[in-house]
Amino acid sequence: MENNAVCVNEVTHHFGDFTALKQMSFAVKQGQTMALLGHNGAGKSTLIKIILGLIKPDIGEVSLMGGANEGSSSMSSQGVPVRLGYLPENVSFYDKLTGEEILHYFAALKGVSKAKVATLIEEFGLDYAKDRQLKTYSKGMKQRLGFAQAILSEPDILLLDEPTVGLDPHASQFLYSKIAALKQTGCAVIVCTHELSLIEPHIDTAMIVAKGERLALGSLAQLRALSGLKIQLKCEGLADLAEKEPLLSRLYRHDALYFDREQQDQVVRCLTSQYGKFGFSIMEPGLAEIYRHFMAESESSHQALALTPSLNAQSKTSLKARLFSPFFGMKNV
Amino acid sequence: MFNTSLPLLRRSPVLIIAAKEIKDSFRNRWISFISLIFIILSFSVTFAGSAITGTLAFPELNNLITSLSTIAVFIIPLAAILLSYDAFVGEDESGTLLLLLSYPLTRSQIILGKLIGHGSVMLLSSSIAFGGTGVLLVLLGEDYGAIETMLVFTQFILSSFLLALTFILIGYLVSLRATEKARAVGSLLFVWFLFVLLYDLLLLAVLVADLSFMNQTVINLLIALNPTDLYRAVNIMAIGAQGGLSLFSETSWALEGLYCSMFVWICVLMVIANHLFRRKPL
Repeated sequence: MENNAVCVNEVTHHFGDFTALKQMSFAVKQGQTMALLGHNGAGKSTLIKIILGLIKPDIGEVSLMGGANEGSSSMSSQGVPVRLGYLPENVSFYDKLTGEEILHYFAALKGVSKAKVATLIEEFGLDYAKDRQLKTYSKGMKQRLGFAQAILSEPDILLLDEPTVGLDPHASQFLYSKIAALKQTGCAVIVCTHELSLIEPHIDTAMIVAKGERLALGSLAQLRALSGLKIQLKCEGLADLAEKEPLLSRLYRHDALYFDREQQDQVVRCLTSQYGKFGFSIMEPGLAEIYRHFMAESESSHQALALTPSLNAQSKTSLKARLFSPFFGMKNV
Repeated sequence: MFNTSLPLLRRSPVLIIAAKEIKDSFRNRWISFISLIFIILSFSVTFAGSAITGTLAFPELNNLITSLSTIAVFIIPLAAILLSYDAFVGEDESGTLLLLLSYPLTRSQIILGKLIGHGSVMLLSSSIAFGGTGVLLVLLGEDYGAIETMLVFTQFILSSFLLALTFILIGYLVSLRATEKARAVGSLLFVWFLFVLLYDLLLLAVLVADLSFMNQTVINLLIALNPTDLYRAVNIMAIGAQGGLSLFSETSWALEGLYCSMFVWICVLMVIANHLFRRKPL
């Protein structure tokens, strides 16, 4: 608990009658990256604004580096100011100013030196364009500038809202390499994104939210286990083998074998030692599949709730609890 | 002491924001554009104003300031609202408002920084145009005392600056409430029409109707309720002119009272802007 950079505890927030967040809880440790995943309007941006201290939640509390959340003037439990970095989604900086002027402006507001700005400009490969007005920048250059802005103060906590949208693979890779470097310094990173395959190799944990509620939280391995999604194995002649071997027959579907992690050794042993098959591919469920799984589950649970108007509140809660329990996913698949 | 306070001033978020707004206005040629309009306006009235009488002569200082203030009262509010209409709604649309609010800044600092920046732009433009006119008059005319002329023009620039600040703040109020830039411009043009054109027309109609409740106190109050009327009254009173605008010169307030009323407008608008910004949904 001690090295939690961000700790969100039972946060609920309403906009009028609309519940934007419902009993949201999670923590991100220093040096960890968490992906915040969800559909549009799921409550991700509200959550980011609450962490930034721009919105005060109706219920629940948020602590940053062990101290109370006061936004940009938050202090850690050691009484040191918490440095926050933020890159909003689709931010469009001041078109008439040059890249260097924009960074100088934000650096001055944070009390960061001009030397640091010069270093970042060089590091982000914007040296050649620093004197050009922003309107001449490409999307990738603007995003690099935005990211440089976010890390000006060497933040303790970095919040990135769709940082790779519209970027080419090279630029996205560059951005994630910077995030990896920041993690090494102990920076906690929260990334809101819809580009799941891009972020997958770079996360420590992921939280999936829908309609203001947390659907799942954990590391990729934990989410795989929680979802109950199977490992997929493909190889040539699998249909013939499945006919011969009862073990494989049970696991065979759509020209592939699907099994749990615990069965992996048994299946591989069967293929290699009994049938001499060494050329096969094993694919674990990716973040995108896990996300789709939880989203579908959430959708079906909401439909189930909508179809049972006679259920009282208590039974609705218990139905929901069942639907979202880790065991439900295992049975369902 | 000066040496230690200067770096502190440079680090002041208010001044950093103000400097950025000024730089922005230089870049998008706002300063050149407004200055040019003011120069054309000022030079036309000063050097070509007498053409309507069939002669070309330098006007009397009192008549000149009366004419200038009559025309400036239309142009200055318009320039001010065009400068400020997107101060908040524009930043909101581009995502930089949210970013600024995540910085160690208070909302009051953001408003004050923008006001100083935009106010400086208007002050610079007015000074170039009207100050330049004053200097030219002294250089070219024979009947103008240098000190008297410059004092009159300084007073005119100061009152123009206060009028500009008022309308910049009105621009902020609308910008803070608006959800898109186009709507902000539309609303502000309506406000401009209301204050600059319609209000005076209604005021004159009420005066001509000679209603029983219209005494000097009510007239003073009605003038104070419109910053453009205050501006006219300030300028007419400052030069002691009489004539077509005698309504404003007949106000029983002293010049200081009128200036105070303009300050009250600015302070009240500033308080409302702060309140709106604090309550602005993010």
